[in-house]
Amino acid sequence: MCDIIWCKKTQADGKPCETVNYLDPYCFWNWKGNINCAHCGTVYAIHMIQGHMYKGPDEQPAGTKPDTSPLYADKPLEGYINYPSGMEGRTRPFHCLPRHIYLGVPDMVKFSIRGKPLRGWRPQPKSAGIAGQFPYNWEMEKLSPEVAAEYKEKIAKGEVKEW
Amino acid sequence: MIEAKGLTPRQFLDKVLEPEKESDHICWQCEFLKPVIKGSSFPPADIIGWCMKIHWPYYWCVADFNVVKKCYVFKQKG
Amino acid sequence: MTKDLRECRLEDLPGPKSKQELDEMRMPYEDYCKAVFAPGHEMSKPEALKGIRWLSTTMYIFTPHSVANLAELGAEVIKVEMPRMGDPMKHTSPFNEAYLYPLHDTRPMTGTGYGFTSANVNEYYLSMDYHLPEMKEAFYRLIKMSDGLTECYRPGTFDRWKQSYRFVQELNPRFIYVWGGGFGYGPKCFGGSYDILGQAHAGLASVTGMHEFMGGHCTKHSNWCIDWYSGTQITFGILAALHWRAKTGLGTMIEFSQVQAATRVLGHAAPMYGRFGIVRQRWGNWDTQLCVHGIILCGKSDFPDAINPQDKFEARYAMVSAFQDKDFKALCDVIKKPDMYSKYMKHKDRVEGEAQVDIYAELEDWAKDKSRAEVVRILQSEGLLCEPVMNDREVYESEHYRTRGTVRWMEDPLFGDVLVQGTYSAGLMSQTPRRQYWIWRPVGADNVKIYHEMLGYPISTVKEWYDKAWI
Repeated sequence: MCDIIWCKKTQADGKPCETVNYLDPYCFWNWKGNINCAHCGTVYAIHMIQGHMYKGPDEQPAGTKPDTSPLYADKPLEGYINYPSGMEGRTRPFHCLPRHIYLGVPDMVKFSIRGKPLRGWRPQPKSAGIAGQFPYNWEMEKLSPEVAAEYKEKIAKGEVKEW
Repeated sequence: MIEAKGLTPRQFLDKVLEPEKESDHICWQCEFLKPVIKGSSFPPADIIGWCMKIHWPYYWCVADFNVVKKCYVFKQKG
Repeated sequence: MTKDLRECRLEDLPGPKSKQELDEMRMPYEDYCKAVFAPGHEMSKPEALKGIRWLSTTMYIFTPHSVANLAELGAEVIKVEMPRMGDPMKHTSPFNEAYLYPLHDTRPMTGTGYGFTSANVNEYYLSMDYHLPEMKEAFYRLIKMSDGLTECYRPGTFDRWKQSYRFVQELNPRFIYVWGGGFGYGPKCFGGSYDILGQAHAGLASVTGMHEFMGGHCTKHSNWCIDWYSGTQITFGILAALHWRAKTGLGTMIEFSQVQAATRVLGHAAPMYGRFGIVRQRWGNWDTQLCVHGIILCGKSDFPDAINPQDKFEARYAMVSAFQDKDFKALCDVIKKPDMYSKYMKHKDRVEGEAQVDIYAELEDWAKDKSRAEVVRILQSEGLLCEPVMNDREVYESEHYRTRGTVRWMEDPLFGDVLVQGTYSAGLMSQTPRRQYWIWRPVGADNVKIYHEMLGYPISTVKEWYDKAWI
């Protein structure tokens, strides 16, 4: 990690900001420009050489546009409340599939992208054999009639493809 | 924290990259030397650093025992 | 037929009788390849390594993959795993998302992660705690019935457990024993290994990524490419050892260090250092020996409206190759920089570092208002080699891979519809092609098959061991 920016800017409530903005070497190792504090948005000019702060952080007048944002930031004096990376306007954004669509209730995938049924979802029925021996021919009608029915529906709708 | 007051960027970089050894090489005055940093144990003991220019983009090991007195790519560091 | 049987006439031989007939019978090469390789019909052909039985006491990707190669070619591979836990690789999945259930019949809510894919296909899954004295007999009996073993424990562990090459040699002198691990014997003998360690320690990561002057850092490949690569190197060793054994009747011990293996892909690095003291550096998406021969960034994405950022933002790279003088001239004409050609007329001049910076900057400047597809089309129509840098989705949709069966759907007997690429990417073979029967099985799925049917232990013993968690 490069040198950090510890923001001490006095806030509206009279207390200092006390946010540690972490700068990652992939972006800031040899870097010169303006960067915002993730908490209060104060813009600092820095010039970093080989991960060490050469000039700055110098506070810029309000309204200066930052070139980029820190990787992430936290407030160590307040129990490490943090700003994780990728928060628009606070920490450096990255373009990535929005993770929230994957969060929440686990949704077992029942069909592959071409529409044919998958097996191996959970919970699994108790093994029929002994010593971990599994039956290799899974009869979908018996094990999960609702998936079998859905599969028939899919075939009827033409949603099952070869590729 | 390295004190940067009054230093040019190049002088500051020299402070960051404090070299392991000293020698008579003209390379110490040259823009293109990347010195072996103090405390590094890995590079062979007989090199003072790497010339980043002569074989650029590859780096050339500058040996301790071959004292370079003059060089065709020499450039005084700023 | 002629009266004298020693006489050989063309018309008596099978096959075409005249040049004209030969031309008529000759298939176009394309059709010939389709007929002899016949992707999708692998199962009807024989297997080259049928009759070889291999034991695999391996974990993660590196050593398992060395054995999976054998299993794909028809060897009977028995993967021996920790009872009720299995290979630690079974518990890893990219970003903890994709699991197939169950791991074991005592753990219905634990699954096997997709990280396990491709490194353990077609194997039989046995569970055994082989370091217990009680299980030694079964283990030794397997050794006597097998051709070889691949293991990945710290050096000397199997020796302590009385099952290293020194011991198994006594039981089976034809036995081929493979140890695969991090450093091998030497000063760092006790270091473990990971792919990233192999890439780092061998100096490979130091020459991957962008050059320092472009702000680059040393980079590891996103995938565990040195694991896959070293595993394959072990397979070569095994095949050579099998050939040696066919000639001499003797086994071999293979001691394979992963960090050592990774140095082989470094090409000219060591000889050049030895001769001149030059340290190889990173050179990113360009080439150190050829120019133009690299990947350029185009201005517009091919899929600006896509939701997936891989398509929306990343479908902008194209590889361009035009290092021959004639091609380079054509390239300079296309991008309307004939003066660049006169400046770098000789390859020796344009392969220089500074020249490459100059040339690729001009190329990207030309491509900045074009999409990837446009760049590819323009350069290809000039007869230059240019292909888009594709992502996984595009690979899946590529007609070329479908024709050759590289990426294909298969019906796994246990897990259903699976898209696979590993087995079928390793070259086509007309007589004994690789094939994939199943992707993997749960821990201990073949315990009854091996212990009862092969080794002849009564079911009651198998059950007793199972209850004690020895298997």
